[in-house]
Amino acid sequence: MKITLTVNDEKREVETSPTTRLLDILRDDLHFTGTKEGCGKGECGACTVIMNGKLVSSCLVLALQADGAEILTIEGLSKGDQLHPVQEAYIETGAVQCGFCTPGMILASKSLLDRIPDPDEQQIKRGLSGNICRCTGYTKIIEAVKLSARKLAGKGGEEDE
Amino acid sequence: MSKRIIGKDFKKVDARDKVTGKALYTRDIYFDDMLYMKVKRAPFPHAYLRKLNTDKAESLAGVVKIITAEDYPDLNKYGLIYKDQPVLIGIGEKMHYMGDPLAIVIAETEETAKRACELIEVEVEELEVVTDPLQALKKDAPVIHEELSGLLTDRLDKKLNPANILCDHYLEKGNVEEGFARADKIFEREYKTQHIDQLPLQSEAGVGLYDEDTGTVKIWAATQWLHDTQADVAQSLGLPKEKIRIIQPTIGGAFGKKEDISVHIHLALAILATKRPVKFSYTRKGSMITQSKRHPLIIRHKTGVANDGFLTAWQTEVIGDVGAYASSSPAVVHKGLYHCTGPYNVANVRGVSYAVYTNNTFTGAMRGFGTAQMAFSYDSQMDLMAAELGIDPAHFRLQNAYEIGSSTPNGQILTRSVNVRKTIKEVLAMTEGGK
Repeated sequence: MKITLTVNDEKREVETSPTTRLLDILRDDLHFTGTKEGCGKGECGACTVIMNGKLVSSCLVLALQADGAEILTIEGLSKGDQLHPVQEAYIETGAVQCGFCTPGMILASKSLLDRIPDPDEQQIKRGLSGNICRCTGYTKIIEAVKLSARKLAGKGGEEDE
Repeated sequence: MSKRIIGKDFKKVDARDKVTGKALYTRDIYFDDMLYMKVKRAPFPHAYLRKLNTDKAESLAGVVKIITAEDYPDLNKYGLIYKDQPVLIGIGEKMHYMGDPLAIVIAETEETAKRACELIEVEVEELEVVTDPLQALKKDAPVIHEELSGLLTDRLDKKLNPANILCDHYLEKGNVEEGFARADKIFEREYKTQHIDQLPLQSEAGVGLYDEDTGTVKIWAATQWLHDTQADVAQSLGLPKEKIRIIQPTIGGAFGKKEDISVHIHLALAILATKRPVKFSYTRKGSMITQSKRHPLIIRHKTGVANDGFLTAWQTEVIGDVGAYASSSPAVVHKGLYHCTGPYNVANVRGVSYAVYTNNTFTGAMRGFGTAQMAFSYDSQMDLMAAELGIDPAHFRLQNAYEIGSSTPNGQILTRSVNVRKTIKEVLAMTEGGK
């Protein structure tokens, strides 16, 4: 079967099967390999992408469900060489270690900040509750989200660190 | 300008690649004409393999090749410290845990390889399963490995079953009998810990190809021991080391779990058999069943304390659950034993540790290498003793804590960087305990 989806503002057609996961379409067919597989069961959030404006685990979305959808992956977040403020914040706070959770974590952070521009710590924790990180212990990640909020509000944030 | 680095903030060199999704982890590497593989694992944790029928699997469209032990009768066992792990279980041989490999399936797609694995028919003769190391130590316990371990010492307690013991280690400092004789109170307690999966977010994966020009197998796969992995793959296949090249892509976490061989040897076999690029990815479930865990330890402490609050003697017995294969067990269980008194001065110490085979998934390295389990036990012992003696646990620790010149259970004299007393004092100052 053939499906059509828009990934990072580009329309793509993919020949696939009904049981293929969106995760595999993104990685194997379209080579957006920034989307990772951690568990394949919707538990860890490594495969998180934004579909039609909503955060989803792409391992739990089947090809048919993705037909006609608009998808944002980590590759679509930066514009050319210009990193998204959330990406900058993750680098500056040291929130990146092995990096395997990072694409999903950044997209979950962006999604949270789109809804709540100035989240408190509880809201950050709830916003990232679908994403597991095994390296950092989350402290730096929470700092990164706070710095992202300041950056997005136009406050730069560097002087606060 | 100062060249000092420690204490300064630097941006991680590969952070930009990681926040943009450009960093290449193993599974992100693709080759044209690439095949996929899966491994058929044991259906029962302790059994003889009697029959293996791959006919149905081989006739599935898209299956390229199925490899069994029959195809490679001369493969050598592998392992980090003691080579007891087989590459493939042959007919008449024994499987020792649920991760034991029976066949390698290579196919055009991953889905086909997985379905073909399910079509392989296996007949086994089930044996009694041993999951408790205390049972394994008994004389009448089922024997897990048919060969006696080459690591056993002459000192091994004759009451134990040597067949299921991988190794034994001993510790002797001062005179423990005299120490207990001087004690006013003696405490004996047993502590137990459980299996823990290191759970790096990236499960094991490898991708590789055959380089025709050099006759080399090139493998991209995460490992924590690049050169040991290369050497172990080569010796297991009977090839010179220079014919195996291991390339380290970005690693998605390891925490000790990626010290052991995982995909590497099976992937090399698939590449050699097909001369095509091959990718091999473990599922999370496969990773959990097949690869190492933190050791469950049974720790028995006997501690003597004088009325003045000083420790006079400490005796420890450690029993570590090795699971089916040695992995890092000889070092992890031994290291746990060496830390038996924690950071506390004891002049008289005696210890013994046993690393014991069971049919559980094998145990290996994980953050601390046996010391995390031991820390739980010795500090619980200190707390329980302080409570029974009616003394403040912090001050009990402070009184007995290491300082410059202290000696560890294995006799090492500490000459620098001994900050435990300072740490306890600072913690006390920061908390209400400092009142």
